[in-house]
Amino acid sequence: MAGKYKAVALAFAAVLIGGATANAQQVGTATAVNPNSESTPPGGSAIRLTVGSRVVHKERIHTSPTGSVQLLFVDKSTLNIAPNTNLLIDEFVYDPASGSGHMLTKLTQGTLQYIGGKLSHEGAVTITTPAAVIGIRGGIGTVEHNTVEHSTPPGTQAFNQNGWMTITNGAGTIGIRPGFIVTIINWNTPPGQPERITNERVIHYIEYLSSKFTQDGGVPGLKHLDTANFACGIYSTTPCPKPPWLPTNAGENDALQIIIQSTQRATLPTPPPPPVFTDSFVGGK
Amino acid sequence: MGSGVDVLVATSIRRAGLGLIADVAGSAALLIALTVSCFGQGFSDFTKTIDPLFAGVLAQPGNLSNTIQYAAASANSGDIESAISAYEQLRFYNPRLAATRFQLGVLYYQLGSYDQARGYLQTALQMPDVTPELRQNIEDLLELVDKKLRPDQFSGFAQTGLRYQSNASLGAGAQTVLASGATLNSRFVARPDWNWFGTAGINYVHDFETQTGETFEASVIAYDAQQFSLHQFDIGLIELRAGPRFAVSPGDINGLTVKPYVVATGALLADAPYMGGLGGGLTLHAVVGNVSLDPYGEIVQQRFRNSALYPLASGLSGTLSTAGLQASGPVAFGLGWQSRVAFARASDQFAFDSYRSYVADIWLPWTFYWPTPWAGSARWTVIPTVGVTQWRYDAPDPFVAPFTTAHTTEWRAGLGLEVPIWHKLIFASLVQYRNATSNVAAFSYRDLSVSAGPLVRF
Repeated sequence: MAGKYKAVALAFAAVLIGGATANAQQVGTATAVNPNSESTPPGGSAIRLTVGSRVVHKERIHTSPTGSVQLLFVDKSTLNIAPNTNLLIDEFVYDPASGSGHMLTKLTQGTLQYIGGKLSHEGAVTITTPAAVIGIRGGIGTVEHNTVEHSTPPGTQAFNQNGWMTITNGAGTIGIRPGFIVTIINWNTPPGQPERITNERVIHYIEYLSSKFTQDGGVPGLKHLDTANFACGIYSTTPCPKPPWLPTNAGENDALQIIIQSTQRATLPTPPPPPVFTDSFVGGK
Repeated sequence: MGSGVDVLVATSIRRAGLGLIADVAGSAALLIALTVSCFGQGFSDFTKTIDPLFAGVLAQPGNLSNTIQYAAASANSGDIESAISAYEQLRFYNPRLAATRFQLGVLYYQLGSYDQARGYLQTALQMPDVTPELRQNIEDLLELVDKKLRPDQFSGFAQTGLRYQSNASLGAGAQTVLASGATLNSRFVARPDWNWFGTAGINYVHDFETQTGETFEASVIAYDAQQFSLHQFDIGLIELRAGPRFAVSPGDINGLTVKPYVVATGALLADAPYMGGLGGGLTLHAVVGNVSLDPYGEIVQQRFRNSALYPLASGLSGTLSTAGLQASGPVAFGLGWQSRVAFARASDQFAFDSYRSYVADIWLPWTFYWPTPWAGSARWTVIPTVGVTQWRYDAPDPFVAPFTTAHTTEWRAGLGLEVPIWHKLIFASLVQYRNATSNVAAFSYRDLSVSAGPLVRF
């Protein structure tokens, strides 16, 4: 028993020592920021986010109707945050040596897109909203939560873009595959049936989760993208995706197999036919 | 000390009652120690231990050159999610660049996120800086994406052409002497010939649009060859496989699926019914890293028919059981690999017709852009291939070599070339050499074949 108390004391001591510097621990960076976007570190007051701003855990992010942000985390995951969004980076634990840990983001209003990194490959990424707990495994997902006064219908929408998404609330759990979207009205109502997302909705999210055409994400000067560096394309030596190359001689190979076998049988000398009395024989030809 | 420290412990405390604190404290302390060991070095030290391009993006995200290099390097290394993140970053900096959206469309396509790919490609077409060449690439990819998003998907190929074979019968030379003392049937000894051939394959997939991803799949392969002189080798063949596919564990990001299927085959030889088969099989599909794996096993009951030309064919009737693995993956820069290994057991009417066979083939399709006078820069594919098959019969054949059980090994090597002609039309050619050696002389053969003709993939 005394050993257990000692362990508790040791753990809390570690927390206290860690806590003294934890507020300064950077878990990511703001890689793009459109005004007005603010962050509130734990115990601090709201400050204006700029490109290169450190992101720490327990940090609140708020974007205005014109603001949007991209956050890049140390596990290589990304949050694209749309205008009119409030969220909290509630937990972020990452052990770079093993690639393990977990991430918890609380979305209270607005829209975000999560792009997976090391933690999501371990199935250790969770996004909560007032209506649901959304687990992301392996991939990419967009989550939108709107309060009553902001939207019709209110509640959470979860769109799985890659990997597997699990949605849980007080009324049940469902899983959704890529290309489908689910609406969750509130915590006590079962998640709705997954539906294939419409093209219009996809394009809405694409445009909403980035800069507007008059914005530059806080980094002006990108006028052109050199296609020579592309993974595929016109000036690259690597072709762009096409249907996978497949052998076209499967039928031929099977046919040749038949010919090999039939030839080996037919090559044999045919047993001599039994004597047959024919007209010519009878006629003494 | 790091953020992981108090987050981890706070989580543990919140989730556990006070009575349980002592129980978790030991493990928490251990995890703290682990986390501290990783983050105790501090953020700046951490960035020294990771990929310099990624560290550069974290430290100086506004460095455009570094971010562009990071995006390209991530895509080329197969880290698709990191590449998407980086190109999204660049899209924040300038949302009006068609090329960025095209790259995002390509990356989402590679991930299998076809809705997202279509959205980026469609909006890329509306950007003010889209060039005619980029528009063509976008439209080509959009066609593929649209096909992937249909509940009923068809894909396949069709080819016709001419083939020369130095040994159309794949038989032994005329001078071969059988151990039994008999002579070879002269109609089946090695002789050259030309043929016309046609082949087609169609794959059909129906997506039931369930969250667990069930599909129905069917494939048909047909082949026909008509010889110019040696009509005893005119052959027609059709193979059908069909069955439903289920996810073994919905949510498994490796996408493990299982498909039971039925298989039906039929063949004509010398314009007469020769073989029919009916059976079933089971195949799995999984993706490990960037390697696609399809192990399978199938059993087919085959029935062969005698004819005037092939009076002993019915002895081949029996059960053919096969277990194998098909696998494929990328190598780098347009070079991929596909392979097949299989073991088959033929239990036929007579022991001397029954055998075990071992098959291995590998194809290395290398696809690249090369200028053509007729279609500009277009996609060519060169396909070197090698393979081997070994047959080990159960018993000596009393008619051929009464005291020797045949062991035959065929080696084959080939080189294919696919030249783009127009849109989906390709000119495909294949040179292949086969050399079979056997401890029974009648089963040894060599053949050089050259085939060429138009090919359409869709």
